[in-house]
Amino acid sequence: MGKDECKTMLDALNKVTACYRHLVIALGSTSDSQNLREELKKTRKKAQELAVANRTKLTSLLKDKTISKDDRAEYERLWVLFSSSMDLLEVDMKRSLEIGQDFPLKVPTRHLIQTGMTGSTTTVAARAMSVQNMKYEADSTIDTVDLRDLQSEITQVSQMMEEMEMKVQVAPWAVEAKQEAGAELKSNMSVGNSSVGVISICEEEPKEEEGGGSRDAGIASVCAVLVFIVIIAVAGVLGYLVINMS
Amino acid sequence: MTIRNTLRDHGQRYRPRMACLKKTEKVLLEMQDPKTGVRSQPQRLVITTIPHAITGEDIIAWLADRFQVDTQEARTFGSMLVALGYIYPLQDHKRLVIKPDVSLYRFQTPYFWPTQQWPVEDTDYAIYLAKRNIRKKGILELHEQEHYNRLHKWMNHKWDFIVMQAKEQYRAAKERKKPDRVVFDCQERAYWVVHRPPPGTVSAMDYGLDRLTDPNSDEAKTPDFYERIMIFTQQSIMRPRVKSSVSIGALVKYCGTYNNHDPFLFKCLPSNPWLTDDVTYWNLNMPCVEIPTKMRVERWTFSFAELLSDPRGRDDFRLFLKKEFSGENLAFWEGCEDLKWGEAATIKEKAEHIYKTFLARGAPRWINIDGKTMEVTVKGLKHPHRYVLDPAQTHIYMLMKKDSYGRYQKSPVFKDTVKKAICPEEHNFSVAQLEQNAKKRRPSLSPIILRQMEKEQRAKMAANVDITQVMSKLSKQGKEAPPPPKK
Repeated sequence: MGKDECKTMLDALNKVTACYRHLVIALGSTSDSQNLREELKKTRKKAQELAVANRTKLTSLLKDKTISKDDRAEYERLWVLFSSSMDLLEVDMKRSLEIGQDFPLKVPTRHLIQTGMTGSTTTVAARAMSVQNMKYEADSTIDTVDLRDLQSEITQVSQMMEEMEMKVQVAPWAVEAKQEAGAELKSNMSVGNSSVGVISICEEEPKEEEGGGSRDAGIASVCAVLVFIVIIAVAGVLGYLVINMS
Repeated sequence: MTIRNTLRDHGQRYRPRMACLKKTEKVLLEMQDPKTGVRSQPQRLVITTIPHAITGEDIIAWLADRFQVDTQEARTFGSMLVALGYIYPLQDHKRLVIKPDVSLYRFQTPYFWPTQQWPVEDTDYAIYLAKRNIRKKGILELHEQEHYNRLHKWMNHKWDFIVMQAKEQYRAAKERKKPDRVVFDCQERAYWVVHRPPPGTVSAMDYGLDRLTDPNSDEAKTPDFYERIMIFTQQSIMRPRVKSSVSIGALVKYCGTYNNHDPFLFKCLPSNPWLTDDVTYWNLNMPCVEIPTKMRVERWTFSFAELLSDPRGRDDFRLFLKKEFSGENLAFWEGCEDLKWGEAATIKEKAEHIYKTFLARGAPRWINIDGKTMEVTVKGLKHPHRYVLDPAQTHIYMLMKKDSYGRYQKSPVFKDTVKKAICPEEHNFSVAQLEQNAKKRRPSLSPIILRQMEKEQRAKMAANVDITQVMSKLSKQGKEAPPPPKK
């Protein structure tokens, strides 16, 4: 059905927007490289394809006058999702143009910012492109050549957004969200060991919000250690008695 | 000496511009040089090692060397870099200052650099808060929780998008390796500490209101644009010019007179509240204080405008005029001011009241203005507007300035005030006392309460006037009748 199709396409666009933002954040830092520029280019193209597909689908759905009121409310909600994604994408594209121009890769006297990030962003890009491994085939002038493409793409996106505003009359403020406040708190996304470890690493001096958590964890671990020592002591005493008896 | 024409420099009108940002970026790039830049070391954490950490003392030493300044200035400059968000502290991340010891800092990625052309969006902040909620429930601090609730209320239509995007960004971040993830979290957190500061701190990027137009963008050459240039040029030709000797002389005189009264340039007694957090100075200089300070009384002798603009000075002057039985001049002047600055709906009735009280023939508090002004005023009062009483007001003002002001300064009222004026002793706070004062800071009275107090005072004064009206009427009966208005 139209709605489900739309939803999957919007989810895909959302994913690509999030990955693109991650890649742009790595621009100009020490994890910047030719590969990153290529990843940016590919992600951008994918995002644009998805955007165009989403737009045609949603405009056709919204232009249809024969749909019910509930349906229309749902499509308007999807439209707000789409236009917010596009807003983020447009800003990220403009910023990547600016930072890309400021940090050319091939100039030896121009240093990249030592941010502490040294790993590659291959996995993020792979997630965006929904492939297992990324293939890199661009040549070394990608950082300058790509910027021209980027400029034209930015104008394309701005034009598309203006057309959208003109053609579809949707009042974004009238849309009601389905999720209430704190919805993500109920989400069962990983609150695993890795993320808790990340937090305690970030806070060099565990205070306030960390103090509570680490205090509980500390008491629990102390108790565990004590129990362990008691057991070892008991085992040692028994062993000694056994040896004595034999 | 040529004075450069600021004709085409439209950019001058558009403030604020943080020119320091572009300059700081250049300095940042110099710091990255592996040979001549700041020395970096790896940061050893429990499980991982993250490179590119720099110590506070290294930063300060490098800045002092690069700019050839002393350590204190380098430290201030370093603090500015941290406050703006180009460098963030790894320990104690909420205090954006540079510590001249081995505490560690790291450079911020260019995407998160402070910039004026990319405004900080609330959508991004909402996504960030949602991401933190996902990572660990209940991690948001109080002010962040408040922001979250407020954003949920005002951005409700986008909330689905925010939650979806937060989840996707969280998943995308997990794709990276562990050390990079840690660094990314620290970067994002540092960015939001700068742009959404915790309560009690101020963001260094708080530059005031954004202007509508960007001064660096090209303006479209429409006929309107050229017309504005023409008007500007015509006005600059027609503008009257003053000889620089005269204007500079006036400036010098002003500076000489007011030098000791400026808290920026001279110490203010007892102590400057902005520096020592002690509000005695403000309490002693309240608008309706019984005993004014010596400096305040001295300012009244500088010019008549100073005397009238200070409420306490005006009270004193009013007292003097009451003794001289010419209080109606000041009352008329105050009524005119009230008319000029008051609400448009009350203009008509205020003008009528003033006419009946001061200008009409046989009025209870008749003022003495010349015939021509009276004619003009009465004619204007047929269709009253805000500035209808301006000629009369100016006449009365000049009368008071030339006549009463001089006599006031020689009067016993003034001399009494001068004698009673207090000169507070200078405070001498120790460092510990200063810290205590800072802790005891409290906000001052709300402007709403102040306005109410002013209103009550004015009502009290209006009630008092009736008595003096009677008194002046009685006294007038003893004197000869007021002279008829001259033609």
